Amino acid sequence: MSKYLDKSIIEINELLKKKEIRPIDLVEEAFSRIEENKDLNCFITLNKENAIEEAKKLEDLEVDNLLFGIPIAVKDNISTKDLRTTCASKMLENYVPIYDATVVQKIKDKHMIIIGKTNMDEFAMGSTSRTSYFGAPKNPWNKEKITGGSSGGSAACISQRIVPLALGSDTGGSIRQPASYTGIVGMKPTYGRISRYGLVAFASSLDQIGPMTRNVYENALLLNELVGHDTHDLTSVLRDKEDFTRLLGKDIKGMKIGIPNYFLSDIVSNEIKDKINEMIALLRKKGVTVDFIDIDYIENAVTLYQIIAMGEASSNLARFDGVRFGYSIKNPESVEDLYRKTRKEGFGKEVKRRIMVGSYLLSGENAVTYYNKALQIRDDIRKSFQKAFKTYDLIIGPTTTTVAYNLAQDLDDPIQSFLDDVLVIPVNMAGLPGMNVPIGFNKENMPIGMHIIGNSFEEAKMYQLAAWIERELNLNLIPGGNACE
Amino acid sequence: MNKEYQVTAGAEVHCELKSNTKMFSDSNNHYGTFANTNINEIDFAYPGVLPTVNSYAVELALKASLAFHCKINKKMHFDRKNYFYPDLPKGYQITQARSPIGVDGYLEIEVDGITKKIGIHDIHMEEDTCKSTHYKDKSFLDFNRNGVPLIEIVSEPDIKSDKEMIAYLEKLRETLLYLNVSDCKIEEGSMRCDVNVSVSKTEILGTRTETKNVGSISSAGMVVMVEAKRQIEELERGNQIREETRRYDEKTNETVLMRVKEVGNDYRYFPEPDIPFLVLEDDYIEKVKSSLEILPDERRKLYLEKGISLVNANKLIQNKQLSDFLLGLEDIDLVIASNLLLGDISAYLNKTEKGLTSTKLTKDKFKELVSKLSSGEITNKVFKEILNDLMETDSSTLEIISSRGIQTISDTSYLTELVDKVLKENEASVLDYKAGKDRALKYLMGQIMKESKGSANPSLVNQLLVEELTKR
Repeated sequence: MSKYLDKSIIEINELLKKKEIRPIDLVEEAFSRIEENKDLNCFITLNKENAIEEAKKLEDLEVDNLLFGIPIAVKDNISTKDLRTTCASKMLENYVPIYDATVVQKIKDKHMIIIGKTNMDEFAMGSTSRTSYFGAPKNPWNKEKITGGSSGGSAACISQRIVPLALGSDTGGSIRQPASYTGIVGMKPTYGRISRYGLVAFASSLDQIGPMTRNVYENALLLNELVGHDTHDLTSVLRDKEDFTRLLGKDIKGMKIGIPNYFLSDIVSNEIKDKINEMIALLRKKGVTVDFIDIDYIENAVTLYQIIAMGEASSNLARFDGVRFGYSIKNPESVEDLYRKTRKEGFGKEVKRRIMVGSYLLSGENAVTYYNKALQIRDDIRKSFQKAFKTYDLIIGPTTTTVAYNLAQDLDDPIQSFLDDVLVIPVNMAGLPGMNVPIGFNKENMPIGMHIIGNSFEEAKMYQLAAWIERELNLNLIPGGNACE
Repeated sequence: MNKEYQVTAGAEVHCELKSNTKMFSDSNNHYGTFANTNINEIDFAYPGVLPTVNSYAVELALKASLAFHCKINKKMHFDRKNYFYPDLPKGYQITQARSPIGVDGYLEIEVDGITKKIGIHDIHMEEDTCKSTHYKDKSFLDFNRNGVPLIEIVSEPDIKSDKEMIAYLEKLRETLLYLNVSDCKIEEGSMRCDVNVSVSKTEILGTRTETKNVGSISSAGMVVMVEAKRQIEELERGNQIREETRRYDEKTNETVLMRVKEVGNDYRYFPEPDIPFLVLEDDYIEKVKSSLEILPDERRKLYLEKGISLVNANKLIQNKQLSDFLLGLEDIDLVIASNLLLGDISAYLNKTEKGLTSTKLTKDKFKELVSKLSSGEITNKVFKEILNDLMETDSSTLEIISSRGIQTISDTSYLTELVDKVLKENEASVLDYKAGKDRALKYLMGQIMKESKGSANPSLVNQLLVEELTKR
């Protein structure tokens, strides 16, 4: 079996340009890797026939960009025309969209080839991908372990080198946390960087699509193609075109970095704290200033997140009513009956829990007591971060408090599930860009990740630091390889 | 009706805006097209879609707010109103609960010669729902209406009688029609009225009921009357008024209970996170303000000043194309002009099913016509004869008269007698003419034409008149 998909995108691109390989070779290899790794349960829907057809069409075209012909996996909450988009829910088990999300249009324009739709938590609600109607994906580093979530399928298929590129979405850490658990690079860009048009909304004011890749350079390459103002999304931002790879390889000496004290407090396991402390030492040795700082209300971010995300979700998921698309019960007695039973049967437990809590939070006076207040404190968090960025180039910390835990571990503790995201949620609250870069492994050979947070629209600077760390550590990030240091 | 009770009423009026596309998507906004053809994935609330804002609809809402003297919310946002209903595909309606585009406005009505301001609490933008049709045990949804831009105009409870309600709604409708903001057709649903009524013996307002979707403006007046009567009767029987939603049955002239309002109807309002704050710059507001049409009130005032009767003034205003035709013609004899427009010209337009602007009657031609009629140079009889030509050819009044050889008196001896008579009766004008005042000639000419009942040959009269004057 060929091993083209282990090569870097630059190498693959060279081979394609020299016509030593064809896109169809990459597509066939991707599908055989999917077959070999079926037990990982990365994908909900495969796009095999179309991908093969698309690859054949590309043979007649000039290889006009670095991502030409590269297989890509798309999280299953991003709308793909004529390709089933389930959000890992029974509610949308048979839903086939009539339109492409803006990001999907963009990847098609660059002739990337969509291989399939990846597994996730139902409607992106969860931190382990275990709320998927289609069963949880497994962590390539240890199949007893969770991938994290909600973009668990995308994380696992990058980690396992099934495809080089994937799209995830991040409402409260859903790109960065699974990236950390599976040892890959995941970026949640600044809110507004990437159009949300076609991303099935969970919490509109927090949701953001982002790239998930094997390394920093390829992450920046993919981000280059995803960003841009979109007239279909009023929350997308108009910015000058920029190359996110432009600072890669540039010296980081003199950089100023802050670490919020909360990020190394007792909530973080010792093995991860130790790893971060090693990184701090390494950075200081390199001539980087690393200071401990405080960010106001950061410890309340999870509470605020629950109010805002669940409130918005309760409204966003109202459209799944069995009337126009998706699951619908047969022979309802009344409209009321149609709504009740369709939503009772179509949604999973966690989704229903969040809709109920969200509805409660927005009810009557609660909207003022909780939602509006949460928006205010959220603004204070944003301001506190802004203040920190007057002094510091970047903020770092661990991405997660622990490494990936057992799939068998109790799912019924909703608070634990949010604690998985306690370090990544503040970034969504402030609308800032955040990314995970792998920095090593624990004793059980499970990946540990570092969280890099940038000021709004400073993704390029984050990539600069991430690329330095990546090169300095030179980790073997292929699961099953001799990754132990 | 018991005199001790004070009737208080208010109106909530929804108007569909006359935009080409919908409020939050770019599908078409056209009434009367085949069901479910003006839709796209956004109207259908497919997973993942997002709203955009129709800036023209915002402009129309701003126009209405300015015309009703509202304060403008320069920084506003939209809110989600959450409830489940099959006609609401998203499960929420995008509306403006907390920052309506216009607040604290008013409009003036006149009832029995007394002018009164009716306060407008607010004007807010929102989207319409699907149209539901029920047949046997089935319900049908037409998504064409879903997402059509609406403004809701909420009055203060300042309306005290059926007459005031009618006057308020008529004024509202007239103004919105003039601004081209809405078609305001109640029968097509582009204007929908909910009428709130309460009665009380004290200063404290009584419990109000809301009568939904009243079918016409006159019915809205009836609702105030019959609902107040019903409430008073209930109270006199010792019963209490409940907050309830009612409907008006035109056949029985009664309001009928639809449902009792549940306490704390919970719409879970929160700011629409998909639409950032909308900021209206001062320059923009000024631009829209200066583009506003001259409103009916101002036109009515002018007409009355110019001597047009109130009945005719109102008729002109009700027919905007006629009223618009008079813009810029304020110097001519508006009484004659309005009589022409409302009389024979309207009859002609009705008969031929034409609009005034699609005829050949230009403002210049009309001006000439009115001045000839005003000076008596042509008579109504002649005007009636040449009406079709005026409307259908490019020729002027005089051209038509001469080309058609309209029967005129050219008997020189008769005309000379006539000229003599008029000159004798108007010696002052003769002196004026001698003193070089050209106006005098025109006046004398008119008098002669009048004397001949419009049948004298104008050019012959003119010739004779100048000759006679030179002799004197």
